Amino acid sequence: MPEIGRLAICLALLCAAFSVGASLTGALRRRRDFVRAGEHAAYATFALVVLAAGILLQALLTHDFSLEYVAAYSSSTLPTNYTVAALWGGQKGSLLFWAFMLTLFTTIVQWQNRERNRELMPYVTATLMIVAVFFLGLVTFITDPFERLPVPAMEGADLNPLLQNYWMMIHPPSLYTGYVSASVPFAFGMAALATGRLGDQWIRSTRRWALFSWFFLSLGNLFGAMWAYEVLGWGGYWAWDPVENAAFMPWLVSTAYLHSVMIQEKKDMLRVWNMVLVLLTFTLTIFGTFLTRSGVISSVHSFTQSGLGPFFIGFLILVLLVAGGLVAYRLPELRTTGTIESFLSREAAFLFNNLILVGIAFAVFWGTVFPVLSEWVRGVKITVGPPFFNRVNAPLGVALLFLMGVGPVIAWRRATPKNLWRAFAFPVGSGLAAAVVLPLVGVPFGYAYATFAIGVFVMGTIVQEFWRGMRARQALLTESAPRALARVVGKNRRRYGGYVIHVGIVMMFVGIASSSMFRVEAQQTLAAGQEMTAGRYTLRFERIENHEDGHMASSAAVMSVFRDGVQIDTLKPEKRFYKKPKQPTTEVANRSTLREDLYLVLGSYDPQTKLATILAYVNPLVVWIWIGGLVLAMGTAIAVWPTAAERRAEVAVPGAVPAE
Amino acid sequence: MNQRRFIVGAVLIAAAVSYLVYAGIKTTSIYYFEMDEFLARRTAHAGEDLRVKGWVRSGSIKWDATTNALAFELARKDGSSPIPVAYNGILPDMFAEGREVVVEGRYEVPGLRAKQIMTSCPSKYEANKDGQPPGA
Repeated sequence: MPEIGRLAICLALLCAAFSVGASLTGALRRRRDFVRAGEHAAYATFALVVLAAGILLQALLTHDFSLEYVAAYSSSTLPTNYTVAALWGGQKGSLLFWAFMLTLFTTIVQWQNRERNRELMPYVTATLMIVAVFFLGLVTFITDPFERLPVPAMEGADLNPLLQNYWMMIHPPSLYTGYVSASVPFAFGMAALATGRLGDQWIRSTRRWALFSWFFLSLGNLFGAMWAYEVLGWGGYWAWDPVENAAFMPWLVSTAYLHSVMIQEKKDMLRVWNMVLVLLTFTLTIFGTFLTRSGVISSVHSFTQSGLGPFFIGFLILVLLVAGGLVAYRLPELRTTGTIESFLSREAAFLFNNLILVGIAFAVFWGTVFPVLSEWVRGVKITVGPPFFNRVNAPLGVALLFLMGVGPVIAWRRATPKNLWRAFAFPVGSGLAAAVVLPLVGVPFGYAYATFAIGVFVMGTIVQEFWRGMRARQALLTESAPRALARVVGKNRRRYGGYVIHVGIVMMFVGIASSSMFRVEAQQTLAAGQEMTAGRYTLRFERIENHEDGHMASSAAVMSVFRDGVQIDTLKPEKRFYKKPKQPTTEVANRSTLREDLYLVLGSYDPQTKLATILAYVNPLVVWIWIGGLVLAMGTAIAVWPTAAERRAEVAVPGAVPAE
Repeated sequence: MNQRRFIVGAVLIAAAVSYLVYAGIKTTSIYYFEMDEFLARRTAHAGEDLRVKGWVRSGSIKWDATTNALAFELARKDGSSPIPVAYNGILPDMFAEGREVVVEGRYEVPGLRAKQIMTSCPSKYEANKDGQPPGA
């Protein structure tokens, strides 16, 4: 079977290469039959990749340890769900998985556009298939997942215990979905450049794809943070590791694009800028894959070199040259006549939000590659850690938060004093009220203070928007308040979905600011019956509970949790010893409330002295980061939900602010 | 409004970001040495914060559960040129003899006073060149 998988990969590579050639020939010579042949070859590529991925999956499920990949990432005792996850658990499998997602999205795009965008499609297909050729080439020539061991292994080395966690089932696939789907807007952008059809058509055709990609990048980052929080046991959720940054940078640029594209749709401005953002998002997804896969930058995640680096660098250079060349070639046609009239306008707010988002992406990029650059230039490696990223990004984040309140409510073109007052009196009032109250409840001045006060201001703008939308509709029609609210949201889904997303982001900002500024940490070594304090909690170490099965052994410290002398909970932080990789892992115990998390780690337990070292963190408002993520997901669902009435409503409700 | 004022605004933001990056790197960056580099240059960097990558020498780990004091030796892969390391705190799960680790801390003769010990997160582990399975 593995030989068939290998054959399928080779054939897929040929099909993808053929598809590139046929699509381009068809486009240049205006031969419809060639274009169709290119599309059919792309479908065939997808079918072949599905076959290959299916065969690898089957090899995993049947424990075929004659395959190097199966032996390295699974074992006969590994639970089935993690055996499936092992498909993307290692490098070879994850590159194949990437190719699978890419060809899947290509298939969907081609099918969606079988009657539409016929001028663009050959280039879209060709671009996507060039990316497919790159990944399939890697899988064929460099990292063959169907490689056989010289001598079949008796048993697999098992999936790393840290990966045996349900996040493994959803975090990598959602991140990959976000990464790979960024190829679709990129392909349309390239097609627009190639054909010279630089109007809004390509943007409208990819609006949902861009949002789809952004949504899964958001989720992927969030799930990664939750994974780090629960599994790695260091009490935090984000460490600015290169691998985390790799997923954060495309998210930032993609966020910028989703905002500035509105200005292009409304005002026909920023065409070059939007094109650059789309190209940059894609480039950053490839760069991110390179960071995680090449080991060029030593991260906590990967120390080993894999030899993939040069191929990725080569591909990146090719992409940048071709895309940059096309942009330069079309520059005269991309220029727009629209100008921004005033600093006090929505265009300006959006433009500044874009610059800050790209600025943050730049700072993150610079901090990430700095060790490599310094080694090149000065011969020594100099690294920057979390303090760098926090220092740089905290002020930028606060500025961004502020613009998030300003952007949606300030007038287009030029705000007059009158409409400034109308738009900002209530939100600024609420923000100022918060600024006065916060010190009274014990929040010291600093970034957290600024975040909270500005957060209230932003929430004020959003509440006001919902309220006014509802009242305007009620004034026109006699409807009950909830009905009017539901209708006004339903008719302007994109706009109000965006506001809901902003609510989620504000929640996250607040959660991040407070958990990083006001976190309480305590560490103590305890004998049975002894107590320690952490924040408002008293913790008593009762005893150790041991448990053992075929897969692993565990020791849990039974901790009674008291507050104000009353026992409120029992938590059991655990140490596990996985038998096959002979490796300990930490299972944290977390008591999560809306106000704060009590997060316990069993640092060590010594059976001889019967002493347990407990590490306790009190992390305020962390749960709001996750709730914010949920709200963000809801908002995105509202924004993408297709409505036939969307465009009609825009025209039909006179006087209403047009939907974004 | 003329575009020039806008370009000024954009340049100001770019300058602010550049300044933040520049000042951030200046105040927070630390040297990252491989074991050999560290051995060659350690005296020049005594008293500075550094990161050193090396291997935990077999048989050198001493761990006191009551005080959470850890002592071990950081060495070349073959165990040569050991440097004593002192650390206080919880051990990372992946910490073990013969492992590759990064020690962040200060070099105070004769050894390193570690603030943080980093082991690699194995999610991206690939088999080592000598054919060991991942995570081993």
